[in-house]
Amino acid sequence: MMRSGDHSTTIEVPPMESDAVVKGKAPLLPASNARPAAGWKRGVAIFDFVFRISAMVAALAAAAAMGTSDQTLPFFTQFFQFEASYDDLPTFQFFVIAMAIVAGYLLLSLPFSIATIVRPFAVCPRMLLLFLDTVALTLTTAAGASGAAIVYLAHNGNQGANWLPICQQFGDFCQKVSGAVVASFIAAFLILLVVSLSAMALRRV
Amino acid sequence: MKGSAAVELAEATRAPSAGINRGISILDLILRIVALVCTLGSAIAMGTTNETLPFFTQFIRFRAEYNDLPTFTFFVAANAVVSGYLLLSLPISIFHIMRSGAQNSRILLIILDTSMLALLTAGASASAAIVYLAHNGNAKANWLSICQQFNSFCERISGSLIGSFGAVTVFILLILLSGMALSRR
Repeated sequence: MMRSGDHSTTIEVPPMESDAVVKGKAPLLPASNARPAAGWKRGVAIFDFVFRISAMVAALAAAAAMGTSDQTLPFFTQFFQFEASYDDLPTFQFFVIAMAIVAGYLLLSLPFSIATIVRPFAVCPRMLLLFLDTVALTLTTAAGASGAAIVYLAHNGNQGANWLPICQQFGDFCQKVSGAVVASFIAAFLILLVVSLSAMALRRV
Repeated sequence: MKGSAAVELAEATRAPSAGINRGISILDLILRIVALVCTLGSAIAMGTTNETLPFFTQFIRFRAEYNDLPTFTFFVAANAVVSGYLLLSLPISIFHIMRSGAQNSRILLIILDTSMLALLTAGASASAAIVYLAHNGNAKANWLSICQQFNSFCERISGSLIGSFGAVTVFILLILLSGMALSRR
């Protein structure tokens, strides 16, 4: 406003922030000031990434332990050779295949996980990961539980069905197979944590 | 006047998404009831298995019950726990229909749903492994298939798996729906 009688002839224009921003000279506000939610969402995404890598390692270990579980007993007769391998039981074949699929999926989902770290507010990668992680959890639990049922039978047998426990003969095979089942349960628990973290991070805040 | 127009505009843009959220919550309730029926049916079908063959000798028992295999006991227990959980979660689901914007309870429901999914899948797949053995046996481990003798027992235990696996699929859909409802503005 120009007022007569002022010794200055400057026109006071209220400073408009948008001008400075448009010209690119305004300093960028730090993310935590403008959107405090980005901080904890990013933290959750980092945990998600770490758990994902751990679950992948566990799944890979389970598949490898089961896949290399051959054992041949040191005695044999003229007609039979006493060997045990995961091939002999279809449930264990399913176990190896399922854990291999889950490990491969977890490896391929790492870029999506990194995307959720970099862009904490993106919904699409999180929703996709939530759905696929749920399917992976189902597959892992299915493989682990069916393997556990067979391992239980191998250790204890069943009186009613006349199924004898085979662990007493094939000790090493039994140990490896039991270890593989334990590793798959660890992987299932870690994937459960990952699903929970995805759900918490999906909040719109 | 300007203020009221702005409020009306805001409400108009919020209304369709609130409608979709309500639709998601209603679908959630329906799926929950379906899963409840499935798991309850499976538990009852497995739990009431009892077949006695019409002949017997002095020493060997010719009777098959779900009790005889610990895996099936676990199956019945898991299905019972999951159907109890679904029953208890129905009020929370109804609450979500009324208040579509509730976030914390939805997150709690997702976490519990995922745990129940894991439990249900464990029970169903362990039983599937034993049912497969009962049908086919295993030559290398010298485990004979028992289905040839216990026909109706075998049919019952195979059929009860269907409800359980159906409930697993429904749970996956439930988790997906809850995730969608959480992320919508």
